[in-house]
Amino acid sequence: MASNPDKVRDYLFRLAAVVVGLIALAFVPAFIDPYSLRIVTGALMWAGLACAWNIVGGYAGYISFGHSAFFGIGAYTTAILMQSGIGMPFLATLVPSVIVAMIVAVIIGGPTMRLRGAYFAIATWAFSEMLIQLATVLDVTGGTGGLSVPAYLNEFFFYYTMLAAAAASFLGVWYLIEYTRFGFRLKALRDHEPAAEAMGIRTNLVKVQAFALSAAITALFGSVFAYWTTFIDPQSVLGPDITDQMVVMVLLGGLGTIWGPALGAVVLWTTNRYIWSTFGDTVVYLPILGLIIAMVVLFLPNGLISLFVGRRRGRELISRILRKF
Amino acid sequence: MDLFLQTIINGVLIGGILISLTIGFQLTFGVLHVIDFAVGGWVMLGGYAAYWLVELAGIDPFISIFLVFALFALIGGAIGPLIYHVRTSRYARPDLMALAFTFGLFLLMRGGALWLWSYNSRNVESVFSGEFLTLGPVTIPLLRLSAFLMAIVICLGVFVLLYRTRFGMAVRAVAQNRDHAGLMGVNVKRVSAYVYGLYTGITASAGVLIATIYSVNPSVGIRYTLFAFFVAVLAGLGSVGGVLIAGLALGLMESIVSTYIGTRYSLLVVFGVLFLVLLVAPKGVLGRGI
Repeated sequence: MASNPDKVRDYLFRLAAVVVGLIALAFVPAFIDPYSLRIVTGALMWAGLACAWNIVGGYAGYISFGHSAFFGIGAYTTAILMQSGIGMPFLATLVPSVIVAMIVAVIIGGPTMRLRGAYFAIATWAFSEMLIQLATVLDVTGGTGGLSVPAYLNEFFFYYTMLAAAAASFLGVWYLIEYTRFGFRLKALRDHEPAAEAMGIRTNLVKVQAFALSAAITALFGSVFAYWTTFIDPQSVLGPDITDQMVVMVLLGGLGTIWGPALGAVVLWTTNRYIWSTFGDTVVYLPILGLIIAMVVLFLPNGLISLFVGRRRGRELISRILRKF
Repeated sequence: MDLFLQTIINGVLIGGILISLTIGFQLTFGVLHVIDFAVGGWVMLGGYAAYWLVELAGIDPFISIFLVFALFALIGGAIGPLIYHVRTSRYARPDLMALAFTFGLFLLMRGGALWLWSYNSRNVESVFSGEFLTLGPVTIPLLRLSAFLMAIVICLGVFVLLYRTRFGMAVRAVAQNRDHAGLMGVNVKRVSAYVYGLYTGITASAGVLIATIYSVNPSVGIRYTLFAFFVAVLAGLGSVGGVLIAGLALGLMESIVSTYIGTRYSLLVVFGVLFLVLLVAPKGVLGRGI
């Protein structure tokens, strides 16, 4: 990838920044109280989820309104496999949870990603709504009563698990998008799909791969979430609020950027928790989310991150995006 | 047999409402090329408007429907230019940004309704409530029949407007080709804003009818967005004529499933079929969608 010395230096610089950041995050639990630790753990989870959504929404250019389905699939797979009848250990449930989510993503994405983005949006949304209905009538999911998971009350374990999952997601996605053929293909098809196809890229395959990757990460966080909260029901892990938050976080942070989703997630999750602790519930949070989406689309289409990148790079980015159309 | 006949009649009556719910949505897609996620939100707000007009002013929903239409046409006419702006902007993906914008609107409506009016369902009383019309073996609630007739009147109005007026000609021209229509002297921006206003007016009116038949609460929005999507996908996105068949089909399907399988499975079956249609016939059963 990098024969150019400038690129090598840039790469090493970024690597160093990531290592320093990770070390700093690893020491966070030593300095804050358990309540704040839960909030930071939540922020890590949402950052990871936003990163997952961004693969499809930001890089492939297909807006999914049904990612809560994959979160729920992950959560329910873990919860079902940890029930006393089966009794799998937590870490072992991660594998089936990710595999199930990827299979479902291929089934959903395979046919609908050939169509225009609008159909994909409708299909994913309808699928997630169907899954809520399904989870409320099935026995294995416990219906509306939900499922309890054996409790493991160790906040440090969950902090480091979420940190590991979030770091793996971000670094994995960063590497895949910026330094592999898969990433080049994905960006090519986002920039100009017919041209990418003419260059011999199997665009449908790449899109479905991206969707499956996104679903796998989402399901992973769903699994950890189920073990963390110890109790899940259809509304808490399949509800539309989960998708809503993911969409808003990515849009607010910056669609199709590596670190934008993390920024959006931290800003929104802090807001969410602040509202929750001030008003006692988060009802007022929903209209705020809606307003933020509308405002971002109207006035800040490249997200908060576009305020931070240098002016020259920002202009480059914008002109690169504009040239596609 | 009587039960079957009753089921069919119920299905047709619901189908009429669903047609009036989706017809504006299709028009918007045809002209603005935007999937409006907020369609269920307009239904819900229309229902709440009818509720408050009964509660505060004592106006029967079958009269206030005209007020609601006018009010929401104005609101939609104000929002329309924003959507047009996003859709024709030079953003990376204007279609997806417009989709995200309406998604935000929907969230704003749903969240706002939850915040202001909580989860409680509210019933809208009309003079027709609780009256029945008995025709041989079948019983028809007068309310549903009059709502059905009202929905048919709305749809006829839309068709007359589309095919018998100059404005309708401009709308059809823009739907066919925006650039060419602009070159022929059609003010595309204004037509788009009017169409969006027309759509919100019609959809909110459908919401009045729906709220009068059932009831209204903040979560009805999601349900009717899905129904509108279903009818639109079945008809083929953008096809206004196909809505007539697709709306009846969904009404019949929901009615049959509720009667013979169980109400709690009706949504499940609807979603399942929507999904299959997307897979098998993405351009709609009539193959006229975009």
